Parts: sequence; structure tokens; C-alpha cells
Amino acid sequence: MFTYILIFVSTVSAQTSLFKEGNKQYEQKEYAKAIESYKQILNNNIESAALYFNLGNAYFKNGDLGHAVLYYMKAKRLAPDDSAIRHNLEFAQRFSSVQMEGVELNPVTSFLASLVDSYKLSFLAWTTSFVFIFFMFTLILRFGMGYNISIVRVGIVVTLLFLLVTSGLTTFKYRYEYLTKRAVIIAEDSTVYTGASEQSDVELEAAPGLIVEILSESSDFYNVLFENKRRGWIKKGLIAEF
Amino acid sequence: MYKKSLLLILFLTFCILSKVHADKNVFNIDVSLDRDTIGMDEQAVLQIIVSGDSQNLPTPHIPTFSMFDIETRGRSSNFSYNNGVVETSVTYNYLLLPKRPGTFPIDQISAVYNNKRYKGNKLNLTVLQDGTTVSNDLTKRAVNASGKSKDYFLEAIVDNKNPYVNEQITLTLKFYISVQFYGQPELTEPTTTGFWTELIGNKTPYSQRINNRQYKIIERKYALFPTQIGELEIGRAMIRTTVQSKRQSRRRTSLFGGLFGGGEEVSIRSNLVKIKVKPLPQNGKPDDFSGTIGRFTISSSVNKKTIEANQPLSVTIKISGKGNIKSVAEPKMPKLDEQFRIYKASTSENISKAGNKIGGTKIFEEVFIPKRPGDIEIPAITYNYFDPASKRYKHIATKPIKLKVTKPEGYVASGDVPYTAPNLTISSNARDIQYIKENIGKTQPIGHLVLHDPLYIFVNTVPLLIFAGMIAVRVRKEKFAGDVGLARSKAALREAKRRLTKAKSIAHTNSAAEFYVEIYAAVTSFIADKMNISPHGLTIDSIKTLLTEKNAEPELISQIEELLKHSDFARYASSSMTQENINADLDKAQNIMVDMSGVSFE
Repeated sequence: MFTYILIFVSTVSAQTSLFKEGNKQYEQKEYAKAIESYKQILNNNIESAALYFNLGNAYFKNGDLGHAVLYYMKAKRLAPDDSAIRHNLEFAQRFSSVQMEGVELNPVTSFLASLVDSYKLSFLAWTTSFVFIFFMFTLILRFGMGYNISIVRVGIVVTLLFLLVTSGLTTFKYRYEYLTKRAVIIAEDSTVYTGASEQSDVELEAAPGLIVEILSESSDFYNVLFENKRRGWIKKGLIAEF
Repeated sequence: MYKKSLLLILFLTFCILSKVHADKNVFNIDVSLDRDTIGMDEQAVLQIIVSGDSQNLPTPHIPTFSMFDIETRGRSSNFSYNNGVVETSVTYNYLLLPKRPGTFPIDQISAVYNNKRYKGNKLNLTVLQDGTTVSNDLTKRAVNASGKSKDYFLEAIVDNKNPYVNEQITLTLKFYISVQFYGQPELTEPTTTGFWTELIGNKTPYSQRINNRQYKIIERKYALFPTQIGELEIGRAMIRTTVQSKRQSRRRTSLFGGLFGGGEEVSIRSNLVKIKVKPLPQNGKPDDFSGTIGRFTISSSVNKKTIEANQPLSVTIKISGKGNIKSVAEPKMPKLDEQFRIYKASTSENISKAGNKIGGTKIFEEVFIPKRPGDIEIPAITYNYFDPASKRYKHIATKPIKLKVTKPEGYVASGDVPYTAPNLTISSNARDIQYIKENIGKTQPIGHLVLHDPLYIFVNTVPLLIFAGMIAVRVRKEKFAGDVGLARSKAALREAKRRLTKAKSIAHTNSAAEFYVEIYAAVTSFIADKMNISPHGLTIDSIKTLLTEKNAEPELISQIEELLKHSDFARYASSSMTQENINADLDKAQNIMVDMSGVSFE
């Protein structure tokens, strides 16, 4: 047990010192070195919102807009309520040389996304668990112990409604942000074709920092959907999933 | 009240924006003719387009042309507001009626604004003597091999067969037809490999007399920009249409001929056109030349001239003119690392096709963030292009812009580190990325998901199991409450064990009678409970009968008979029972209970 605690403490200490080293390199404008330091932490299978945020900043200062947006998106997923992450993400996206026009979002999806946007998946999931436990408690009172009184019956209905709302939002968040495969365009020259081949016609010229949804894949290509609902095929190496 | 205030603010904003951009006042005057050759009995349309980024465009001045009568044919205006830039154009149309034959220049068309004269481009218009505009070439092409004039033919003409690479040439397809045709002619576009092609559009059909025959002419124009040097070929265009058949035209008097006689479908191909594209001269070619060809102007503007340090300043650079506007590259910024952080914000372009020439405006927006307070100047931003008309490289530049950068409250000079407010927190409105985080914060394994966390699964499973267990207990209770026999049967073994436990606790010679009462009751009660009958009426014989009916082993039946008889005897002669007897009987009773559990009493 003592050995495990010792290993855990030394691992945390190593990550913290790497993080501090990255910050120092960033302050000295050695952005490429800072990126290396931060990535060493990731190589140890450790992630945090602050780590992704700092990586995004280092990439941005290093002139790599695609990777900057990629890591800001990862940071936002872990800490959606962090205003600094949101600010830097929006700021970076404004520098993409191609701006999405004609973006028409589904109003229901937009509404649900706006509801869950500021909350972590873990917060929604634990809230749902709490409501579920309370709901089960009222069911036990009513059907397990036979308390057929009005307060218990009302409790069942109210907690059921809460449960439907919280579980619905949790499911939406999970599907929207985790099950749907999304990626950021990271390459400067990122041609999108009408088919899964470089011999196909060019659908559009994308730019680093644009976010796409991956619909399917075929050999070296992904079929991607842009925010303005234009779709096409792009080489796998030109985008990075988040 | 609020609505009025809002409108007032919008109006003022619009006026201010217009004022900011009015500082530049870049105008263009494009002069074009619908035809460059007309006959004495024909007329040409002169079109003058005045465009610029001001709302108050000057009216063009038309000089007196002694060889033409001029009639005005009205004006139209167009207004657009794009990326904060006002774009206005006014088109004036005039009809030119020739007075005498010859080739005449159309020039000196100009407009004056703020004491500066802006001139339009120069054109020539040829008026032919004999009342026909037809050149010898066209006259020949309108005749077939047998010397008869053609009913229809398709001609492809370019205005320049020896352009520079990336210089615009105009391809005109003219479809001449002198017979009746039905429906809309179907065009197969010419192949233009080696060119970047932009359609200019179709012209309103007009008529022309060739070889004493009246032709209707349908005209379509394209702008072609050669993208490679050498000999290029513009392929044949083809028109398919249905014309009145020869047989039908001979029966012109027939009432139904035109309606039901049916036409003849024909395919007409144009001539091939060869273009020899020459390279740009190397002499005088600037180092930072980006390949733009045409005639352009450049201007720049800022959204404010007084600004706080570390606040964003929007700088708009605008390149306008004639040429392939898509090929206009971003102007090279002067080195300003000491004064500003510069970010590219957006690029937009407006393409115009005035006067059959592709042109327009490309707008580059940049965000400049001044690093320090003081008087700073954005120096001239330069651009180079090649002007094919003068065959020279031209260098254009914006005017320098002077800025006053003020010191924000709590300013501390600090290299390239973003400005930090006195409370040491970066403002969320600051127009730069917010600074890195000092601490790594809460860490977790990559890809960790709460939904897969064993604790989360456990917490959600436990209440479900508790509920299921309580429901099961409740159902069981209700089931037993409604079925006494089942309840007794299920409780039989438990009750028998309880009695045996009690017997064991009193298994000594002093309580032998009581011990055997419990042993007897344990066996008989078990059988009675299992069969849902009263234990009081049970005799050893009736037990034997019942067990036989239930197919119990004969050995078990005899063991039970022996134990019950022995217990019955011992209750009344307990003093004769030794401790060994008692212990042996307890073992027997326990074994019998185990064996009886295997008997099916249902």
C-alpha cells in the first residue's frame, strides 16, 4: 500500500514539474519546447483541462492554428464552464482563413446544446444518479414497503419528471460530445474532394481550425460534414479527432 | 423611443463608417461599347460605369463627339455594403449614331471629384462606308462552298490572340441565324484547357445584315485567363437547335406547315481558336511580385486613429481594379514586430464584369494590436502588379497612417507579454488569447469517462437491487398470505430445525421427556406442514401411509417409525434413557430431517 502511495505521489510530482517546465518555456517564448513538455505529460496517459489549455496556447503562439483549436476543444470538453478556454477558442477560431457561412443548425439540437454546453458530462451524470436514487427511494416506499400515501405518489411523479429531464440531457451530452466523432482540420493545405480519391473533383478548400463531423471512412479518407452542411472527403492525416 | 434611439445610433454608425472610408475616395470609370464596328445605318451603345466607395459618385463628363449624334438611354445605380465598405456604381447608357464613316476614338470621358480628374479608358469605334458592318472575313464565312449564303453559323472570336500569361482575353461566341428556329438553342461550351474561365454573360440578341441577308445574332462572352505559357487552343463550341426545314419553308403559305410540319434539328460548330501566350518580361520584375496582372489601386483604412495599448485595431487593405481579382495575393506587411502584434482576420472579394472585363475589389482585414503607448505609424503597404497595357511592372502603395496609442490605466511595459491589468487578471474582453494556467489542476487518465466508472455503476445499481429485493420480499409475503399450505410447506424445514435446535439444547437425562416431546413434534410437524394437515390427528400408521403415498424410501419410513415409537416410549419412561440414547436419537432425528427434505410432498 505504502509503495502504491509512493508511486502515485512521485507520478503526480513528475507531472507537476513537467507542467511547470512547460510554463517556463512558454514564458520564454520557446513555444515548441513548451509543446514538447506538455506532450510528455499526455504520453503518461494524464490529461487535464489546464494542460490542454496551455497546449492550445503554445500551438497558437507557435502559429499552428489547427492544433490550437484542437486542444482548446479538448480543454473545453473537460471544463466547459471555464471562461478562459471559451475565450481563447473563440479567439483562435476567428483567425481561420475560411469562415463557415450559411450555418443552419437544427433549432432543437441548438437548444439542447445550449442547455448542456456549460456543464461537464460528469456533473450531469451524477445529478441524474442522485435523482435516480431519490426516484428509487420513492418507489421502494410505495411498492416495496406499501406506503400508498399522497406525498409518496406525488414524489414518484415529480422525481420521475426530473429523472427524464436529467437523463435526457445526459444522454444528449454523451451522444453530442462523445459518440459523435468530431475533428479539427490541422493541415494548411486541406483539399476536400467529392469522392474518396485525389482524382475526384475538388469540393472545397478547407483551412486549419475548422471543425468537422466524421461521417464515415474509406481507405485513407474520411467523409466529413462541415458546420455549414457541406460535405466531402478529406485525407485522414489532415485532420485530428478530439 | 428606444426604436428611434436605435435607428439614430445605426444611422450615426453608418455615417461614421462611411466617413472613415470616404477618406480614400477611390473611383473607377469603365467605358465600353457593345460593338467596335458598325455601319452607317446602325448604332452602337456606349456604356459608362462609375464605381467607387463613396455614396456621392461624380457624374461623368461626355465630350462632344463631332462624328456621332448622342442620345441618352438612361442610368441605373447599384449599392452594396460589404465588410464595412460601401460600394456604389452608377451605369450610364448612350446611343451613338454615326454621321460619317471612319475610325474614331472614344476617349476623354472623365469625372471630377475634390478637384481631381478621373479618366475613363480609351476605345475606338469604326463606322463603315457602305452601310454594312460586315468585314470581308465575315462575308466569306457567311457563304458556303457552293457560293450560297449560309442559313446559320457559329463564330468564336477573341480580342487578343497573343496575351501575357494571366492576362484577360475576351472570347465571344456569335450565333448567326437567318431562318426561323424553335425553342431555346442548346449550347455545348467550348473547351478551355489551360485557361481560368469566367462567364461574362449573354448579350441581348440583335440583327445584322450580311450579304444582303438579315441575320439574328445571339452573343455570349467569356473572360479567359491563360494559366500557362505557349500555344493554347480554345475548342469548338456547338449549338443544337431546331430550324425550319427547307421543304417546309417552300410551303410557307401552308397554314399548318409552321405548326405541325416539324422542324429540322441541326448541330452547328464554331471554329477553333489558337492563342499564343507569352511570358511576363523578366526586366524590371520585382522580387515580391505575386503574379497579379491588370490595372489596380490600393488603399488602407483603420477603424480608429486613437487607441489604447493592447486593444485591437481593425486595418482594412483594399485592392481594386481590372484583372483576375482572385489572383490578388495578400500584400506583404512591413516589419512591425516592435509596434504591433498582427493577426489575419478575414479576406473577401467582390467580382465585377463591367465593360466585359473581369475586375473588382479584394479586401484584406487585419487586426493590429499596439504593444506600447505613443505615436505610432503604420507605414505604406505596397503591392506590385504587371500592367499589360503599358507592358510594365507597377508599384502601388497605401498612404502611411498615423496612430495615437494611449496608455491604459495600470500599464506596465513588459516586452511581448500581454498587458496585465493592475489586479493581475487578464480581462476577458482583451483581444488576445488569455494567458496560460499556472497549475495543472485536476488530472485524470486520458479518455476517462464517468459513465464507465465502477463507482458510478455501483451507485446506480444498488438502489435498483434494493428495490428489486424489496419487491420480491413483498410478492413472496403476499403469495404466502394467500396460500397457507404453501406458507406452511416453505416454513416446514425451518420450524423442524428450530425444534431440533431446542431439543439439542435440552439433550440431557434430566429433561429426557421434554427432549423426546420436541423430537416427536419436529418430525410430525414437518410432515403435517409439508402436507398442510393438522399434526394433532397424525398417528404413526397414518404417517407411514402418507409417506408411502408420497413414494418415500421404505428405509426412511421404517427409520421414522422407529424414531417416533422410541420417542413415544421415552416420553413416558424417560428415566430409562441414557445420555448415549439421547445423543443417538438426536443424530437420527437430524438425519431423518435431511432425508425427508428429498421427499416430494406435493
